[in-house]
Amino acid sequence: MATDGDHEMADATAGAEANGTSGDFVKEKQRLRLLPGSSDTQASFAFEKEDHTLGNALRYMIMKNPDVEFCGYSIPHPSETVMNLRIQTWDNVSVMDVLKRGLSDLADLCDVVEDKFTAARDDFNDSHPDRVATK
Amino acid sequence: MNFDMDYGLDGEDTGPRVTIRNVNETTIDFLLSSTSLALANSIRRTMLAEIPTIAIDLVEVESNTSVLADEFLAHRLGLIPLSTRGVEEMIYTRDCTCEEFCDNCAVILRLHAANRNSDENVKVFAKDLFCETVGGQQIQDPRYGHRNGAPRDGLSGAEELPPRGQPVIMDPKGNGALICQLRRGQELRVRCIAKKGIAKEHAKWAPTAAIGFEYDPHNKLRHTTLWSEGPNAKEEWPESKNKDWEEPEQEGEPFRYDEEPTQFYINLEGTGVMPPDQILHAGIRTLQQKLAMIIQQLGTTNDSGHELAPAATDNGGMGGMSPPMAANGTAYGNGNQTAYGGGGGQTPAFGMTPAYQGQQTAYGGQTPGYGGGTTPYGGMGGATPYGRSGY
Repeated sequence: MATDGDHEMADATAGAEANGTSGDFVKEKQRLRLLPGSSDTQASFAFEKEDHTLGNALRYMIMKNPDVEFCGYSIPHPSETVMNLRIQTWDNVSVMDVLKRGLSDLADLCDVVEDKFTAARDDFNDSHPDRVATK
Repeated sequence: MNFDMDYGLDGEDTGPRVTIRNVNETTIDFLLSSTSLALANSIRRTMLAEIPTIAIDLVEVESNTSVLADEFLAHRLGLIPLSTRGVEEMIYTRDCTCEEFCDNCAVILRLHAANRNSDENVKVFAKDLFCETVGGQQIQDPRYGHRNGAPRDGLSGAEELPPRGQPVIMDPKGNGALICQLRRGQELRVRCIAKKGIAKEHAKWAPTAAIGFEYDPHNKLRHTTLWSEGPNAKEEWPESKNKDWEEPEQEGEPFRYDEEPTQFYINLEGTGVMPPDQILHAGIRTLQQKLAMIIQQLGTTNDSGHELAPAATDNGGMGGMSPPMAANGTAYGNGNQTAYGGGGGQTPAFGMTPAYQGQQTAYGGQTPGYGGGTTPYGGMGGATPYGRSGY
């Protein structure tokens, strides 16, 4: 178990992170799993190291897609950082496409919010030169 | 798929809107509207817990004759706010290729304080910490001195932040946080190593002091029920300071049951380690990085394999291996990789928790990898990632 680099934990001593990198290859933990019983139009995923921060936002975005019959997420146990997401689609729409679409839509939405904030902050700076919003 | 994304990517009228209400060096008070509660909450959670900052993580005590224990002092040192200028370029120490730590992944701070001959207690403040490079050279930037955040006119925050790792000092006297007090004859000499981290790991890495988050000040959506002693709850509860930004409920107005919250009153207060609008940018950016990482894991090629590991068919990333492995069907649920450590080491693409695996004992030692509707022989590389007729 010790070789499972639990990335969130601080090292006890500086340099102890040598434990985490196993051997020659770069360790890339697979954080997305497909749960059994899935098919092309309905699937459950398990995300490791994720919680409501991603789950609720992603669920919201995927529900906006009219091809989606069902979308919900849950966290099986708070002590384990696993989040399950289930998607069921109408007709023959692929679940993977729906998931990818939801993710990129959410990223775009974040961009829009950031741009609007930046614009609002710049406006505020211009109209209140005495109280400049720090950059 | 043919649904229109009209979250306002095209229009000025639709889509998220931000209205800034008030600003000072530590706080931004703004309104976020035409977004969903889910996104606003995700941004709030990310700003609170997942923005990388810098804080002291290791303390090497050379000499400590103060009344506070070493670990007590180390705890206090960890909580001192340090400037996060340039933290994006900094690497996590665990990811850095150096041995131990280097200038790319850590900041060294030293503290030498002693009370040699004063009858009064010598107070050790955060301003007494000074930065060093790993090699031992002192970092000094006389432009900044020790003051940060003192009210100045017309300076933008990026210039105000001291160099990376320097303690952030916001009090009018320029002292910073009080670390400890020394009586005559007591001494404190420590070497601190500050590293990059996030608040999920320890609260010392939190860039936010608090985030005020409110929506629906008049409770028109009935998301809450106000407790009351007497018959009228509205009399007992104070009114929100955001009440003027929305219409109160009219008498006799029917309850709109399918309204969703769209306007959020956010008051973002930072600790001073990062200018507050940089906190917001970092929060959104971190959220996008999360999404990008998942997209990347989804998109890594279907044919060479298994970016999505079917949990039941723990076939070690190579289809051909599965039958001999699955034949060992143990109650562990997947038959192979019983030693979790071993599995993780050999197949970096599959980081599975055995605890989770154990729930799928039904798929344990059965027909090689059919459980998920995929065949272990590169079924993922077939036309459909889920194999065919899995049901």
